[in-house]
Amino acid sequence: MTRKEASSTGGAKKQVTVTINGKKYPADEGEILLGVAVREKIAIPHLCYEPSLDPYGACRLCMVEVIKDGKREMTTSCTLRAAEGLEVVTDTPAIVKYRNVLFELYLAEAPKSEVIKEMAARYGVTKTRFLKKLDTTDSLGNKCVLCGLCVRACNEIMGAGAIGFVNRGPYTVVNTPYFEPTKDCFGCGACAKVCPTKAVEFEDRGSERVMTSWSGTKVPLARCDCCGGYYAPKALAISTLAHITPSLREEIAALCPVCRGRRIARDEILAGRGGGAGSHG
Amino acid sequence: MKIGSAADLEAVRQAGMQKLRPGKPRIAVGLATCGIAVGGNRVYERLREIIERDGLDIVLTKTGCIGYCKEEPLVNISIPNKPLVILHKVTEADVEEIVKQVSRGKVPADKALCRVPSWDHVTGCTLEYGKGFSKIPLYEKVPFFKAQKKVILRDAGLINPEDIDEYIAVGGYAAALKALTGMDPETIIKEVENSGLRGRGGAGFPTGQKWRITRDAKADKKYILCNADEGDPGAYMNRNEMESDPHMLIEGMIIGAFAMGAAKGFIFIRAEYPLAIKRLKLAIGQAREYGLLGSNIFGTGFSFDIGIATGAGAFVCGESTALVASIEGRTGRPHPRPPRLTDIGGGLFGYPTDLNNVETWCNVPVIMANGSDWYSRIGAEGNTGTKVFSLVGKVDRVGLVEVPLGTTLHTIVSDIGNGGANNKKVKAVQTGGPSGGCIPLRLFETTVDYESLNRVGSIMGSGGIVVMDEDTDMVDIARYFINFATGESCGKCVPCREGLKHALLLLNRIMAKKGTKKDIETLALLSDTIVATSLCGLGQTAPNPVLTTLAYFREEYDALVKP
Ligand SMILES: Cc1cc2nc3c(=O)[nH]c(=O)nc-3n(C[C@H](O)[C@H](O)[C@H](O)COP(=O)(O)O)c2cc1C
Ligand code: SF4
Ligand code: SF4
Ligand code: FES
Ligand code: FES
Repeated sequence: MTRKEASSTGGAKKQVTVTINGKKYPADEGEILLGVAVREKIAIPHLCYEPSLDPYGACRLCMVEVIKDGKREMTTSCTLRAAEGLEVVTDTPAIVKYRNVLFELYLAEAPKSEVIKEMAARYGVTKTRFLKKLDTTDSLGNKCVLCGLCVRACNEIMGAGAIGFVNRGPYTVVNTPYFEPTKDCFGCGACAKVCPTKAVEFEDRGSERVMTSWSGTKVPLARCDCCGGYYAPKALAISTLAHITPSLREEIAALCPVCRGRRIARDEILAGRGGGAGSHG
Repeated sequence: MKIGSAADLEAVRQAGMQKLRPGKPRIAVGLATCGIAVGGNRVYERLREIIERDGLDIVLTKTGCIGYCKEEPLVNISIPNKPLVILHKVTEADVEEIVKQVSRGKVPADKALCRVPSWDHVTGCTLEYGKGFSKIPLYEKVPFFKAQKKVILRDAGLINPEDIDEYIAVGGYAAALKALTGMDPETIIKEVENSGLRGRGGAGFPTGQKWRITRDAKADKKYILCNADEGDPGAYMNRNEMESDPHMLIEGMIIGAFAMGAAKGFIFIRAEYPLAIKRLKLAIGQAREYGLLGSNIFGTGFSFDIGIATGAGAFVCGESTALVASIEGRTGRPHPRPPRLTDIGGGLFGYPTDLNNVETWCNVPVIMANGSDWYSRIGAEGNTGTKVFSLVGKVDRVGLVEVPLGTTLHTIVSDIGNGGANNKKVKAVQTGGPSGGCIPLRLFETTVDYESLNRVGSIMGSGGIVVMDEDTDMVDIARYFINFATGESCGKCVPCREGLKHALLLLNRIMAKKGTKKDIETLALLSDTIVATSLCGLGQTAPNPVLTTLAYFREEYDALVKP
């Protein structure tokens, strides 16, 4: 069994009751506690959690205290699994004290991120005592907090592995290998989609998508035969077609989604007039 | 030839004894990395030249290191029926005279450090060398050795680490034979549990318990690992253990593999230890040749082999989950536990895995040979056995010292180490490497055991003891370790990656006399935060040097800042 299987919610799961801040909530056994809190609208700040990915535990904001045998232990709720009788509390004085320091560290690390500023302000932290990191050459606009979501989405969900962590310690950044344009990138934009601080940028320029954050990686776009517009990265346009019936595939292969819709609708109408499909018996 | 029985082992033992005591003079040069670094190889080469030139009937060989770094290069001489004599600070210039004396059945007395009439190899073999040379001090009278107890370094500096026969001669592999042919896995694990042995990699987790958890995990395959990543600045115990006596590690792993039901083990060793890697490879090859590794060991049907995985110099790869990631070919970044290595899905390639430190494994053969009762009488309650420490820094007698757990810092630093170098006053020691803390002189009655060191804010760690004297700037020491930890942080979690960086910036500011009292408060709060919220042991312990210097040497910080 892999780590992922252990965490999968598939199959009939035993129901358990967990206690958060003194109130009882139902949960699947083994469910991630942070997930339960999110569902129940209990505010626990978090940056590196994504339900479809393996627990990661890097941002350290989601700390809760587990109460067990009268003792309390601080731990990250995104790596904590629901079990019968599990009891946690959020926002204890210790958590608040340490979390505020973490927010200050984030304000210094990603001084240009509005998301971080808003999140920290929600918890009363508006200033940082630490030296702000401002790097004019940063391709992530001084917004990245190294939560790793883009890297994991690219790797684990897309299977592309186009980006990764470069260097280590405080010099860690996310980018392509050797800061060179990479052929492994699909240009899907999953990285930008999952980024909690909106740090990842790309733009479509004519026939190309330019991944500005990823060393200027360029991805060719597919052009629609019908309207002439560029609509999606070529590689993705081709791989999506694999899921469509072969006869239809040929017909719509070179069309953008809008023109595809029109073409299919037109075909339907034509077919209907021919008296084939529409039997309103 | 394969060793399949007690009789086979005995035959090899006798052949090995012929090498150790060839019936003629034998000169052995200490050639661990330390000895080589100070010219041991040149001494060896010169000896070879002269012995060849004069056609003398003297055996020349190499050995590991007995740990007295200050006195290197060390050469030992055994003349039939005379005590073994250890010569110190030997240079090429001394060689001519040494050979002259030895060929007359004598030793150069002015070069002699001590004599060893008999030596207990702890694995059921006491070598009686002989009597004589009464003017040379006895080994146990030498202040550096007096308070030591050699259990792990039982053979280091005495046998040739590149020859399995010599290891077998002093009782090696008899423990493995006994365990595999005379004990069942349950009994072996019970013995390890009863011995009280705790992990020597730093955290002190009970070894028997870890073995039992691994054994009990329900999986069709298991792995065992040896952690030889030793990355603490100032720590080199494991290096010497592997360079001087690699077979004790291999034997320990064979016994462990049998007890836990593993068919394959790996030694994860840092690439910066080329000589240790070379000797381990050689030792593994020799063990395979004798059938001590491979299939059907001692005809029991049990099969086990060891591979070597080298690390590319990242301190964090000593952390268990990062270590496994590194062996699997992934980036060495820790992940949250559970799953632990012993869990299904958490270990190497997803299989339950036991990880132990080099020195932990090296304890296993002596426990099997002498029994848990014998072992648990060494050391202190709850902290049994001995531990090897590297005593370095501003101490007079630099070296590797092995003492029973529960020995006081005072004994180690003053009695064995003879206090500060160049007659300076000792001010503090730092134990446990970058994860440890600084302990001031007034607490030197602290006993060195896992709990006592924790109580004063430090840790045992893997066994580095760095001595600081009156001239040492404690704020600078804190900065040194924070700088180290910052560079070694894997960069995954924010308290460690960003927090340590800002701790370093604050320390730099304070050192540059530009800091304020407020900066000290910020530094303290930041350190607490890093300890409380980091993902892995590196971050969780990295601020200890700051926290302890703040607790014990606050005045040094205050003197540097504006009010
Ligand atoms: C950052 C870090 C570095 C470590 N480095 C080492 C090391 O070099 N050698 C070692 O044996 N254990 C090291 N450890 C401890 C190991 O994670 C593990 O606890 C140990 O190898 C277990 O073996 P033991 O039970 O025999 O002590 C390190 C831990 C951390 C957090
Ligand atoms: S770019 Fe965004 S998603 Fe990627 S590591 Fe940085 S903050 Fe996380
Ligand atoms: S504590 Fe440091 S070394 Fe450990 S995971 Fe966090 S960043 Fe990496
Ligand atoms: S969400 Fe838990 S550590 Fe980031
Ligand atoms: S002299 Fe060999 S370890 Fe120090």
